[in-house]
Amino acid sequence: MTRPSPMLAHAAFTGALLLTWELLHRSGFLSATFFGSPVGIAEFLWQGFFASGVLWKQLAYTLVGTVASFVLGSSLALLVALIFVMYPALERASEPYLTVLNAMPRIALAPLFLLWFGLGLGSKIAVGSSLSFFIVLSSAVAGMRSVNQDHLILSRTLGATPRQIFFKLTLPSAVPTLFSGLRLGLIYSMLGVIGSELIAAEHGIGQQLSFLQSMFNMNGVMGLIGLLAALGMLLTKAMTVLERRLLRWQ
Amino acid sequence: MAASVNIESLSVRFSDTVLAVSEFSATIPERQFVSIVGPSGCGKTTVLNVLAGLIGSYQGGVSINGRPPAAGSPQIAYMLARDCLLPWRSALDNAAYGLEIRGEPLASRHERAAALLARVGLAGFEQAWPRQLSHGMRQRVALARTFCLPSGILLMDEPFGALDAQTKIQLEDVLLDLWSTEARLVVFVTHDLAEAVALSDRVIVMSARPGRIVADIPIDIPRPRSVRELQGDPEFHRIYGEIWKIFESGLQAPAASTT
Repeated sequence: MTRPSPMLAHAAFTGALLLTWELLHRSGFLSATFFGSPVGIAEFLWQGFFASGVLWKQLAYTLVGTVASFVLGSSLALLVALIFVMYPALERASEPYLTVLNAMPRIALAPLFLLWFGLGLGSKIAVGSSLSFFIVLSSAVAGMRSVNQDHLILSRTLGATPRQIFFKLTLPSAVPTLFSGLRLGLIYSMLGVIGSELIAAEHGIGQQLSFLQSMFNMNGVMGLIGLLAALGMLLTKAMTVLERRLLRWQ
Repeated sequence: MAASVNIESLSVRFSDTVLAVSEFSATIPERQFVSIVGPSGCGKTTVLNVLAGLIGSYQGGVSINGRPPAAGSPQIAYMLARDCLLPWRSALDNAAYGLEIRGEPLASRHERAAALLARVGLAGFEQAWPRQLSHGMRQRVALARTFCLPSGILLMDEPFGALDAQTKIQLEDVLLDLWSTEARLVVFVTHDLAEAVALSDRVIVMSARPGRIVADIPIDIPRPRSVRELQGDPEFHRIYGEIWKIFESGLQAPAASTT
């Protein structure tokens, strides 16, 4: 007897779960007000993406915010990491401040950023990049410190310029460590954007979630949560593909 | 490119108590293959690092082609005991690394690197990652990287020190083969006297720390040589035996006599 493939088993399990949920909903055991139903969720998503198409715009706001937060947060982190590696004294001096900022749940900054940057994308990017910055910073510093001393000696005898050393040695050496930070940084960028959209926004999946919840539209809330889970997985997957490509030498 | 190295009364002190090298003098003409041998910790690598411009504080006079040594000088190619291959670069890009740092355009550096990989017996391995290569193959790539550079002076710090005996002899012959067509001035540091005798025109023996020159001996074995064949050559063993006596006396009593 051959064992069923894992994919098939997972599909069967998920199907059974959804079917049970739908049956419990229809028989009245699960309240539609609190749990929604699989068919209702499917209808909501179909309506939002294909019939009216309004959800595409919201999704675009969230995605643009996430990607912009990630790019901004991680480029700043790379820059600061480079400065820290070049001037370790500066890193020691700024350590207590960074520790405080890092320990603070930075989503708490969202109300402040909303005042400073407004209801639009600006405040979302500010929160998202403040989350990803610190995660990428620590992994970037650790990665850049891992440069092999022999490689540095060799490059010095070859007459490498600081710029060559950064691009040809420091950065490639940092990639393996850096990527674990980047992957988390991407997920945290999305977390920051969704979080601040929930608090106050004009657009975005988080804002829609907050709106649908206030309307007790549970099919909508559940549908969007599922959508966010899928989105998160997709982003992580994209990072893994990129990482594999960059680390194919390992 | 005419190259010469001139060292006069070089002394290197690492701290008030540690004198690493004491009064080291040698004049090395172009195309000469010189080995510096001595027990570990005798300061032979220190001498090499001064020549490479990696150690700036020393006493005495050192000149490379008439100028003081400087790290990154295009006159010099440096090879370490570890292969120092960059793991994220293919064998070809590793062999071309030195030329790349020194600004050679892509096409010509790849052409030169591929030719040298073929010379060291790695034709067909151009696209291999370092992790896919054995120790000996990795050191072959390092040899190709070193000889890719048109530098007139090669500084080699125990380049085969980490290899097993068989692989070592193979690579010594690869080195002699490269050197026979691209004759450069070589300063070769090793603790292996047999290796020094087999490869060199001249062997400088250093004492234990503080490293002084105990002997400076010309090696008159005719070239071209094959290290593999020398293993069974009585003349090679006679010369080796003579130098071994001096080497051993240097180990016991740090003497200051220079021949």
